Amino acid sequence: MIIDQQKIDEAVNTIIGYGGHGILNCVQCGACSAICPGVRAGFPLLCRNLIRHLLNGELEEIIEDSSSWGCQACNRCTEVCPRDVRPQEVVFAFRRYQANELAFSTSSITSQMNLYETGHAVYTDPRAARKRVGLPEETPTSAFDEQAKQEIQTLINNSPMGELGLF
Amino acid sequence: MAKVGVYVCHCGSNIAGVIDVAAVRDFAATLPDVVIARKDLFMCSDSGQEMVKQDVRDGLVDRVVVAACTPRTHEPIFRAAVEKAGLNKYLFEMANIRDQASWVHGHDHEGATEKAKLVVASAVGKARNLEPLEDKFVPVTDAALVIGGGIGGISAALELANMGHKTYLVEKRPSIGGVMAQLDKTFPTNDCSACILTPMMVEAFNHPNIETLTYSEVDDVEGYIGNFKVKVRRKQTYVDWNKCTGCGDCASKCPSKTPDEFNAGLSDRRAAYIMFPQAVPKKAVIDLDHCINCAGREIGTAPKINQKTGKPILAPCERACPAEAIDRSLVHDPQGAIKEIEVGSIVVATGYQVMEKDWFKEMAPASPNVVTALQLERIISATGPTEGKLLRPSDREKPHTITFVSCMGSRDEHFHSYCSRFCCMYMIKQARLIKEKYPDMVINMHFIDVRAAGKGYDEYYTGARKMGINFFKGKVGGLEMLPGDKLRVLAYDMESATSIDYASDLVVLATAVELPQDAVSLAQKLGLQFCGSNFFRELHPKLGPVETATEGLFLAGCCQGPKDIPDTVSQAKGAAAAAAVPLAQGRVKIEPIISEVRAEVCSGCGICAPLCPYHAISMKRAGEERPRAVIEMSACKGCGVCTSACPSGAIVLHGYEETQIFAQIEALTA
Repeated sequence: MIIDQQKIDEAVNTIIGYGGHGILNCVQCGACSAICPGVRAGFPLLCRNLIRHLLNGELEEIIEDSSSWGCQACNRCTEVCPRDVRPQEVVFAFRRYQANELAFSTSSITSQMNLYETGHAVYTDPRAARKRVGLPEETPTSAFDEQAKQEIQTLINNSPMGELGLF
Repeated sequence: MAKVGVYVCHCGSNIAGVIDVAAVRDFAATLPDVVIARKDLFMCSDSGQEMVKQDVRDGLVDRVVVAACTPRTHEPIFRAAVEKAGLNKYLFEMANIRDQASWVHGHDHEGATEKAKLVVASAVGKARNLEPLEDKFVPVTDAALVIGGGIGGISAALELANMGHKTYLVEKRPSIGGVMAQLDKTFPTNDCSACILTPMMVEAFNHPNIETLTYSEVDDVEGYIGNFKVKVRRKQTYVDWNKCTGCGDCASKCPSKTPDEFNAGLSDRRAAYIMFPQAVPKKAVIDLDHCINCAGREIGTAPKINQKTGKPILAPCERACPAEAIDRSLVHDPQGAIKEIEVGSIVVATGYQVMEKDWFKEMAPASPNVVTALQLERIISATGPTEGKLLRPSDREKPHTITFVSCMGSRDEHFHSYCSRFCCMYMIKQARLIKEKYPDMVINMHFIDVRAAGKGYDEYYTGARKMGINFFKGKVGGLEMLPGDKLRVLAYDMESATSIDYASDLVVLATAVELPQDAVSLAQKLGLQFCGSNFFRELHPKLGPVETATEGLFLAGCCQGPKDIPDTVSQAKGAAAAAAVPLAQGRVKIEPIISEVRAEVCSGCGICAPLCPYHAISMKRAGEERPRAVIEMSACKGCGVCTSACPSGAIVLHGYEETQIFAQIEALTA
C-alpha cells in the first residue's frame, strides 16, 4: 500500500459528506466488529475493517464490495463504540457513496425494483390478509395510490438511482 | 523624572521572524522618559542581561522594560538581574511581544510590528510610574498534613517525618494501607504487596514525628501557606481504641452482615469489624449503619436486667470483648470528635476508586462470574474470600478459561476519555500469577493496545506471551450469559480481521480509575481545582506536577491522575520535598503585588470582604471608630477584585496602581 494523503483526505471527506461524521474519532479498537452480525456472517468490509480501509484512502478500490449492503442497521455498533464513531453511519455513508457511483450490489436490486413499483422497498401483496381480518383490501399507501406512485417514480427517475437503468 | 531603558529581544526567530525589531527599538527611543533603547538576539542570555545591568550600574536608567516573551517564565530572571545591578526589582516591567504579537500575528508582519510598538509603549507608560516595593515574609508552623493513608500518603508522610517535620497522616478508613493493601502481588517483580507495604504502614504508625489519625476526615481548612488551621473529624468508632487489642472477638460474635468493602463486595463482614488482618492500627470499629442493636442495646441506653440472675443483658460484641473496650451504655457522639491542628503545608494523596461493573450493560454485569480486576485481586489474595484459591463466584468451582477485557470505561467518550494507565500491566500480572499456579488454565486477554511503558514492563509483557497466555488485539464488544454460569465472549481479532466467539468461565473487566465522589467536597474545603479528566489539577502539567494553584497545597498519587505504585511513590516523595520547603525555610515570602487598604479613606461599607475569592479581607473595628477593611497580606493573591469594587477607591493594588494602569491605557489609545 502506498500512503497517499490526497486519497486519504478524499475518502474521509467523502464519508463525512455522506453523513459518517465520526470516522476520525475511530481508534480501531474493534468493539463494533466484535458484535456486528454482518461481520459474524462473513461480510469482510463492515465496521472496523471498512473504517480502516477508508482511513487508508481506499474508496474506488472497495467500491464493488457488497459488505455494506449486508448491514442490518441493528445499530449495536453505535451502542458499544467507546469513541462516538457511530460506525453504522459510516457504513451508510459508504453505501450512499456506492449508490451515487452507481455501484449497487446485486443483492439490493429487488428492493430497488419494489421501491420503484410500489413505494415500498419490502413489499408483499397484503390484500388476502387484510380481507381476512375485515379491513379494506387496499392499503392507504402508495402501493394502491396511482398519484403517490407516480410522484415516487418521478423522484427516483430524477435521482442517481434513475441512471441505473433498472426501471 | 524616570529614566527608562527599553531592551527589545529577537528571541532568535521567535520574534524577529515576524516583527521588525529595529523598528520597535527606534520607536521606543521616541517615547517619553525613554533614555536608552537597545536590542539583542537573546535578552535572557548572559550578554543580554549584562547589557541591562551595565546600564543600571552606570546610572543611565532607573526603570527597565524588556520587550520579549512571557513574564510567566522570564520575569524572575530579569527582576533578579536588575536587583543584582542595584535597582529595586519591582522597577522592572515586561512587554510580551512574542505571545501577544509575533506568535498570534505570524501572517501579518507589519501589523505585528505595529502591535509590538503599542505593547512596548504601554509597558513604558507603566514603567514611568512604577514605585519600589519590598518583599514581605510571614512565619511558618513547622508541621505538615498528609491527607490519605495509601501508599502515596504513607510515602509522603515518612519522607516529611524523616526530614524532621511533625506530620499528621489522616485516613478516612479504620486502617491505613489504601488500595495497595488489597492487592495480592505487584508488577513487574511479583513482590507480595502486603510484604512490602505492611512494614511501611508500621513504620509510619510508630514514627515519632508522625501522628496517624485513622477513621478521620478533614472537615475544614482555613489559612494559607505556612499557617493552615485544619479541623479533622475523627468518626465515632463506638470502640474504646485505648483498650482495644485488635483480637477480633467482637467481629466473630457480631451477627449482622454487610458486604465487605475490603474484599470488593465478594464476601461479608460484620457490623463490628477489623478492616483486614494486617490493619494498622489493628483496631475494631462498630459500623452503626449496619448494627442491629442486639438485645435492644441502643447506644447510650442502660441494659435490661435478667430477672433470674439479676445481671445486665449485654450485646454479643460487649460480652465478647475481653478488654472491655465496648460499652454501649456510654453516650457516644455520633458526629465523633473534632481535632484542631495547625500545619504549614498540606499534601493531598486521597487516591482513587475503580468503576463498578454495573455501568457496562453490554458486559453481562448480572453474572456473578463477571468480576472487576480488583475483585479478582481479592480472589487470588491469600487474605481474600477464597483464601487465595482461584474459584469463580457463582459455584466456587475452579474455572478453566479466563477472559480479560481491557479499557472498560477508559478511552471511552461515554465514561472517561483518558487511559487509566496501569490496567494493562495489572491484567498481565494477574494472568501471569494465575498461569504460574495453574499452567493448564486457558487465559485470553483482549486489548485495544498493550501499554507497557515503564521500567521492566515490556519484558514482563513479553514474558507473559512466552508463558502461553493468549493476547488478542481488539476490544471485546459484548458478553452474553450462557447456561452453566458460562459467558459467551463476543470479541474480534484485529490482526486477522476475524470474529472471535467462545465460552468463558470467568471474565475480568479492567474498569476505569476515577476520583471517588467524596473528593468533590474535599476539593471545595481545600480550594482544589479539577482538570479536564476530573482529577485534581496540578499547577503545571510538566513543570509543576506536585504543586497546585494554592501555595502550600501539594498533590501526590492517583488523585492527580492515574498512576501505578512506582509513579505514586515518586510523586509522593516529590510532593513531600516540595511541602518541606516552607517548613525548612521557617518563613514564606509574600510578593508585594498585593492589595492594601488606605484606612483613612475606607468607609467601612464591607463590599470588598465577601468578594475576595481568598477570604483575605476582614472588617476590623479599632475602638469606637467605624469598622475598616483589613487585608491579610499572606492570603492576598493580588487579583484586584477588591480594588475595582471599592466605591471609595480606598484599596491600592501595588504593582497595578491607578496611575500605572491609566498610563498604559493612554499609551494604547494614543
